[in-house]
Amino acid sequence: MAIINNLKEFILEQSKKDYTPYLILSVPLLFLVIFLLWPLGMSIGKAFVLRGNELILDNFTFTNFQRFFTSSMYQRSLRNSFVISFSVVFFTLLIGVPMGYFVARVEIPFKKLILSLGILPIITPAFVGAFSWVILLGKQGVVRYMVNKVLGLVGLSLPPIYGLFGIIFTMTLTYLPFVFLLSHGAFKSSNPLLEESAIIMGAGHSRILRTITMPLILPSLGAASILVFIRAIGNFGIPAVLGGQQYVLPTLIYFRVNGFWDLNGASAIAILSVIIVVIALTIQKKVVSAREYETISTASSEHKLHRHPFIKAIAIIYCSLVLLISLAPQITIITMSFFRQWIGFLPVGFTLENYKIIPQIASKAIKNSLFLATSASLLTALIGTLVAYITERRRPKGAILIDFTVMTPFVLPGIVVSVALLSAFSSGPINISGTFLILMISFVVRRTPYVFRSVAASLTQLDEALEESSTISGASWYYTFRKVTFPLILPGIIAGSILTFATLLQELSTSILLYSAKTQTLPIQIYNAVADGNFGVASSLSVLLLAAVFSVVYLMNVFLGETASSSFKLG
Amino acid sequence: MCSNIIYKDVVKRFEGKEIVNALKGVSFEIEKGELFCLLGPSGCGKTTLLRISAGLESLTAGQIFYGKKDITTIPPFRRNIGMVFQSFALYPHMNVFENVAYGLRVRKESKDIVKKKVTEIMELVGLPDVLRRNPSPTALSGGQQQRIAIARALVYDPEILLLDEPLASLDAKLRRYMRAEIRRIQKATNITTIYVTHDQEEAMAIGDRLAIMNSGLIDQIGSSDQIYHHPNNMFVANFIGKMNFFPGTIQEVQGNNCKIQLEHNQKRLDLFFEMNQKRKQEISKGKKIILGSRPEKLSISANPDDGLLPGRIQIIQNLGKVTRYEIAPLWDSKNKLIEVDMEGKLSGVKEGDVVYINFDRNNTLLFSKKKAI
Repeated sequence: MAIINNLKEFILEQSKKDYTPYLILSVPLLFLVIFLLWPLGMSIGKAFVLRGNELILDNFTFTNFQRFFTSSMYQRSLRNSFVISFSVVFFTLLIGVPMGYFVARVEIPFKKLILSLGILPIITPAFVGAFSWVILLGKQGVVRYMVNKVLGLVGLSLPPIYGLFGIIFTMTLTYLPFVFLLSHGAFKSSNPLLEESAIIMGAGHSRILRTITMPLILPSLGAASILVFIRAIGNFGIPAVLGGQQYVLPTLIYFRVNGFWDLNGASAIAILSVIIVVIALTIQKKVVSAREYETISTASSEHKLHRHPFIKAIAIIYCSLVLLISLAPQITIITMSFFRQWIGFLPVGFTLENYKIIPQIASKAIKNSLFLATSASLLTALIGTLVAYITERRRPKGAILIDFTVMTPFVLPGIVVSVALLSAFSSGPINISGTFLILMISFVVRRTPYVFRSVAASLTQLDEALEESSTISGASWYYTFRKVTFPLILPGIIAGSILTFATLLQELSTSILLYSAKTQTLPIQIYNAVADGNFGVASSLSVLLLAAVFSVVYLMNVFLGETASSSFKLG
Repeated sequence: MCSNIIYKDVVKRFEGKEIVNALKGVSFEIEKGELFCLLGPSGCGKTTLLRISAGLESLTAGQIFYGKKDITTIPPFRRNIGMVFQSFALYPHMNVFENVAYGLRVRKESKDIVKKKVTEIMELVGLPDVLRRNPSPTALSGGQQQRIAIARALVYDPEILLLDEPLASLDAKLRRYMRAEIRRIQKATNITTIYVTHDQEEAMAIGDRLAIMNSGLIDQIGSSDQIYHHPNNMFVANFIGKMNFFPGTIQEVQGNNCKIQLEHNQKRLDLFFEMNQKRKQEISKGKKIILGSRPEKLSISANPDDGLLPGRIQIIQNLGKVTRYEIAPLWDSKNKLIEVDMEGKLSGVKEGDVVYINFDRNNTLLFSKKKAI
């Protein structure tokens, strides 16, 4: 009898508790386990067996990794990736930091315009930038044509853009905004009193720059460098368009999968590139954390701007030059889209044909892109929001682990994500290769960090007492979430989702391995048109894509304020 | 409707990187309709105790009852309590009416009842006009936000009201005004209320009773008079108001008269202590004790014949009704500065002068091993 009573009490006790949060919050965690951790695990496993062999202990081998010691193609790819990534970091710092300083500290006109134009290269799909430079500096490129006419007089010639030089050049221009925007922010927000007190103590300009200004912005430069490095080493589009015979790790992965359907070999390359990224991250953390300073004073004021006409002139010329070069791709693409050909000095054969043909050849790709980007963004919003809520509010014991897991795809090259998904879901009981589903999953996995970060930031700013107060008033977890938490973090959710949508419209490095004839997206069609040498159509489609991405970002700026576009620094 | 609250051996341990014993076994009772202050320095456990009372934190051990009902494991949203947060926690995405009506909406009250109750409560907190414009709470002043937070906590007739440092974010003048308002509203609704603060003046002014907390334990519970005049120990004595301490030895006990020799000083004090049972046991010749004296129970004189203990005036502060003298003792360089409050100003005395301190024979406290005897 006592047992039954105890049981009754226990059941009564349990039924009083509120289980909705556990039910709802387990969904995104399950998603992460099935579509992120499991595929990554499968991929790691496959890297240690040979293609065609079963994933069992007897088949364990290092052969896939040994190619890095035996194959010259592997070695060259690895070396290329290193050379390119470090060069791009170096050049972006070299060009971006002065620009950040000029815009932040020198009195020059049109600062807002410079800042918004400066962001364009990141919003432009990297492979579009690459192929526009082919138009300008390729074998028959217009700029090369002109320069060579001049150089030819002294017996010299500019090589075409293909190869390492072209990749570094294009990537530098593409990722310049990270360094420019982050260093601009750091120069602008550092406490001017620190520099003023140095002046009063008798320090000269160069000493102040050396001993005060630069050390204080070093953490920001560290963050920008690592962002550029991760991007550069994971970029597929630029080396694919400009690489020619020069492979890098992402194109090598593509080559393994596309050429030989060798997921095992591809996984090994993927693991190596992830290891490189992790090492870079660790070094950056060590270097930067030793130099991170807390702000001591709370008093703040504006920096005095340089007004010297000479400095102003240099600043204006420098910024215009950099902007002109980094915006050349957009201008080129738009021009090209209205012509049949552009060999020699001027484009020839004005036509609207490139646009007229779009509905006929690309309507499926456009529909696919819109469908995938929209549905994946919605799913990303849901999962990212719930995971952020878990780590920021429920704070379970493994919160750091969840945080780490959800942020992993942020540092993974896109092509690594697709190799992992193929490793898990292209054979065996669940085969979804070639479907919309696998593309959508890859998109969600890859972009969840955007929404996660954005919502987590909203949640940290949201006073927990607001939710506690609702609970005290008698509201259940779900009621509180619906009426208090959700409306207040909605701006964060929207910002993250729009960012996701805009980047997914132009996603190439994930989808290049996952698409099929049925699921081809717009970026892939552009990429294929470039590969076929059909620059006119590639341009008109690119203009369409650019217009779509720009208007999304513009709308976000209008509705969510200026801060929204700076969140692109994340992505 | 409202009920008393009983705490039984309440223990709270936070286990993170380091274990923090926030509450080390607390037992007491808060009476029906009482305005009860939890007072203590930061980190003493008062906020933890409040959050446990609300159900926002779980207990490590012990029980809490609202009346006869054991609510130890009941989640906060089923407890029917009201709470005002330090930051007010008003919802920026709702107007004033919706903020106040929130708890009623949760309870699915009908439109008419919501309207009626919100109007009534806004009248009670002294803001009937705000509803006409019904702005966002962010557009209001600190004092108005405070009243709305109180209205929101009271509108659904909770059993218990919890206030977490409700005045901390207001400026000094408004704080003094609002604390009287809170007491008025509390008395009007007669709801059992726990009020957490670290400001002793606020607690003494507002509370029916106070609990003084210190490192996870309650040192003393009582009315502000009891605590001020009969502190349990030296911590309470010096936390509620200022207390000067003088170590010494009992020389002689004659009835209610004690002769006490202070350390490092030849002069003897002749003081009156009513010899109750406890003191008879504790006080004996040769026992080391500590004398405690409030600043207003000491006096000074420039004339050596009038006073006992010589000291040098360091600082003279005019506090309005009284003048405060901070005096460095000359007989014992290790003793802290002694504070003496005198009504009016002693003429001809300036900073740096030597004065002589005298005790109030009938109003000096006796401590042994930090505890009052």
